[in-house]
Amino acid sequence: MNVFDRFEIPLHMDYDGQRRAEKYSKIIITLFGAVGLIWGYIIQRFSQTVYILGAGFILATIIAVPPWPIYRKKPLQWQKPRSDDAKKGKAAPANTEQNTNKTKKKK
Amino acid sequence: MHSFLSRGNAIIAYSLSVLALLTFFCFLSTEFLDYRAKAKISTPKILVKNVPDYSASRRENDLGYLTFDLQADLTPLFNWNVKQLFLYLSAEYSTPNNALNQVVLWDKIILRGENALLDFKNMNIKYYFWDDGHGLKGNPNVTLTLSWNIIPNAGRLPIIQSIGSHSFKFPSEYTTDRL
Repeated sequence: MNVFDRFEIPLHMDYDGQRRAEKYSKIIITLFGAVGLIWGYIIQRFSQTVYILGAGFILATIIAVPPWPIYRKKPLQWQKPRSDDAKKGKAAPANTEQNTNKTKKKK
Repeated sequence: MHSFLSRGNAIIAYSLSVLALLTFFCFLSTEFLDYRAKAKISTPKILVKNVPDYSASRRENDLGYLTFDLQADLTPLFNWNVKQLFLYLSAEYSTPNNALNQVVLWDKIILRGENALLDFKNMNIKYYFWDDGHGLKGNPNVTLTLSWNIIPNAGRLPIIQSIGSHSFKFPSEYTTDRL
């Protein structure tokens, strides 16, 4: 599909990683905003508040936007593909169908 | 949050929301401050002339001329939500024609960080002090007041009058010399 697939560089986050990335970015931006507000109030310069928030934005972007490997630590445990489904045919129709549907959707 | 762009978008949107909230706090922290201050005004020299007003009707109208001294300490007015002050000196008086006349004679912009401790001596007025008739000659009560308009980062643009004004009267004879 794209050049990264060819070299097998994984570019996704797993579900837990996505949740953590969002949490980290919000914590960083909120923290920098709060510190900036206090600091700006102390030295009476609102521009400093804005700059500090900007620094938080850049840090959050670096930490939470690229799909770093730490966001890929809890991959989904897929069921092994069953090669015997086709041979057995009608053995367990309901169960099999559900599994295949699920697999298609997630991939 | 599943892709590069959606994460970037979420972070930008959240940062802007936080910025809006911070700006609101900045506004709240200064909204209820008292921006009044004292100003001391005096007028060493007052003249009135009767000359044609070519800017309006070409009729001969009263033209006031004065110099003023002004002392005011406006440093306490500056805080993190004040970008600049727009000062203006206005004259108020009443004539038979109009119950209230207001004329702006002088103004000044003070940016944040500039010297806001004002001590002016013998300042010329910046704008013509025209009356629309003959209301200045011998006028017994002309009041000069200093006012300022606060230009904030966020919030209202209040106009505040200084504490302390100066009243004077115009001479009852026209000056015929050149100013």
